[in-house]
Amino acid sequence: MKPHTLAAHPVAVERRHRSAAARLFDLVVHRCLALPIGVAIGLLWANTAPEPYFIVAHSLAFPVNEIGMALFVGLIMQEIVEAVMPGGALHSWRRWSLPLLAAVGGIAGSASVYLAYVRGHYEEVLEAGWPIASAIDIAAAYYVLKWILPRSGALPFVLLLAIATNLFGMLLVAPQYPTAVVHGGGLGVMLVALGIAGAMRALRVRSFWPYLVVCGTLSWVAFYREGLHPAFALVPIVPFLPHEPRRLDLLADPPDDDAVHHFEHEWNTLVQGILFLFGLVNGGVLLRGYDTGTWALLLGALVGRPLGILIAVGAAVAAGWHLPRGLKWRQLLVAALACSSGFTFALFFATGILSTGPLLAQLTIGALGTAAGSLLTIGAARLFRVGRFAR
Amino acid sequence: MRRVGLLLLTALLATAGFTPAAQNAARVVETLPARPDSLKFAVLGDNGTGAKPQYDVGQQMAAARMTFPFDMVLMLGDNMYGRQEAQDFVTKFERPYAALLQAGVLFYATLGNHDNQNNRFYKAFNMGGERYFTFVKKNVRFFVLDTNQLDPKQRAWFDETLQRSDDQWRICFFHHPIYSDGGRHGSDVALRVVLEPLLIKYGVDVVFSGHDHMYERLKPQKGITYFVSGSGGELRRGDVRPSGLTAAYYDQDQSFMLVEVAGDEMFFEAVARSGAKVDSGVIRREPVGARDSR
Repeated sequence: MKPHTLAAHPVAVERRHRSAAARLFDLVVHRCLALPIGVAIGLLWANTAPEPYFIVAHSLAFPVNEIGMALFVGLIMQEIVEAVMPGGALHSWRRWSLPLLAAVGGIAGSASVYLAYVRGHYEEVLEAGWPIASAIDIAAAYYVLKWILPRSGALPFVLLLAIATNLFGMLLVAPQYPTAVVHGGGLGVMLVALGIAGAMRALRVRSFWPYLVVCGTLSWVAFYREGLHPAFALVPIVPFLPHEPRRLDLLADPPDDDAVHHFEHEWNTLVQGILFLFGLVNGGVLLRGYDTGTWALLLGALVGRPLGILIAVGAAVAAGWHLPRGLKWRQLLVAALACSSGFTFALFFATGILSTGPLLAQLTIGALGTAAGSLLTIGAARLFRVGRFAR
Repeated sequence: MRRVGLLLLTALLATAGFTPAAQNAARVVETLPARPDSLKFAVLGDNGTGAKPQYDVGQQMAAARMTFPFDMVLMLGDNMYGRQEAQDFVTKFERPYAALLQAGVLFYATLGNHDNQNNRFYKAFNMGGERYFTFVKKNVRFFVLDTNQLDPKQRAWFDETLQRSDDQWRICFFHHPIYSDGGRHGSDVALRVVLEPLLIKYGVDVVFSGHDHMYERLKPQKGITYFVSGSGGELRRGDVRPSGLTAAYYDQDQSFMLVEVAGDEMFFEAVARSGAKVDSGVIRREPVGARDSR
């Protein structure tokens, strides 16, 4: 008798297909692939039909970059708060000192190489873009390092380094928001937002949505009126949200075991949709728009940052600090290179600092190009037989 | 092979003072009318190299002024390349155009990507310390933009200033071309989708840009004539990739433009470093009614 196969049954086929689609969806959501997919589509569209692309991108830029991205920044802040709170994977301030020094070294390295290149080419107009060169793509650093060095002290070291670097970048980017008019009166609105958030917390409101929709909207208005980048509007609201410590690493998917983590799952799914649109709207650049800023950014991120990190850690070790347990210099080199991709955060900082124009285009190409940092990391790991390549 | 043949033919014609540009002019005029009451100016882009070709162009401009007495020059950005210290303002601007400056010719500059933003404070660039500004000469209002970054504040200013303008002619100049057949840079489409609706809405007549190191006149786009004049000092020989948009071009030597606005007509000439006329023509301003129906 011919065996009854699952594939032959139409309901089973449907189930299998649905599950394949669901698996694909999970892969995109949990591996942070929505943004790269959006960028790829944007690049293809811009370079084949530029005028329709830029019309669509221009009309979507404000709702995506200024409103939607507030949810992305808010989620990143929420994850950071949960990771560093008592019981969180990155808790323990003792662990922060070396990554903080490394972050300072990385920022100094990327900024000095970027600025030296720009000044060497006498294009001072590009100087404002140096924070873009400092940005680290947390997801790229996490996944490439997790693949190469799955159970190493390098992972929390790099995550803390990346968080510190990007928080510093955000502090620089938020006040540089280019707006036509500063209306003022934002402080009063912000106080109302914080007051409502505080009241909700006191009343033990467990759902995220009232915080995000009511307080987040008020905070957004306050930021916008004061000429601050409104994508950072949820940052002051996040501390009021319910939190559960994240025992896993920052980007590891927490189990959907309580109301907080359930809301975070929903929030993350929404954010991945926004990141797709963000990549689509901002990633489409004409490839021939590369110029001095592109090379400056690539050199700053791929050379300056790893070098800065290594020098800073070297100086710290010479001053008596210890490398994280199990981390040797070869692993540290790979970890430093894993921080060279700026991609998501570089793109975000670029749109926060610069307005439409050729400067933004050339720095966007550079920001996308820093994705090559992940390949450099794998190459270095192979060359120096680090982690999975040691066998 | 065909391209090599075309290049040879172009070089031969250029030597003889003829170019594809001259052949393609919509309506070729032999000379600029140089009417006593008209507005006369020169246009120059990507010039501040401090090298010999820039000086040659400066001399040619001074020579042109003997028969065409223009009293101002529009500089389309990259007014200064490389180091930009006090001595560089002498070698890359004051000396090459000494004859013009001594004759009282005023230069109005816009900022390119190679210009230090502080150059807007340099008195002889007449920018009044602003990245974007406007000025009026006779029946023409000029709008000068900084296209390095088209920030919301600048866009709002441009919209408001255009709206208030009731001048007969509206001419814009900025560094990065929104229409160009330059092979290296070409049209900046991202800028175009932001700027073009305003240019159309408020009936801008002519736009001058640089950035691509060649000369090109484009067929009117939605009623607006675009010029790229980015070879006042730099040159990217053979860079133009002619397309359906191209009305005329010249990419074999440095060049500048002479322009005369007389009543409803704007006469123009593109002049090579050798003094050869490489393009010329006249643009008739569209009546307001026709503009509104664009």
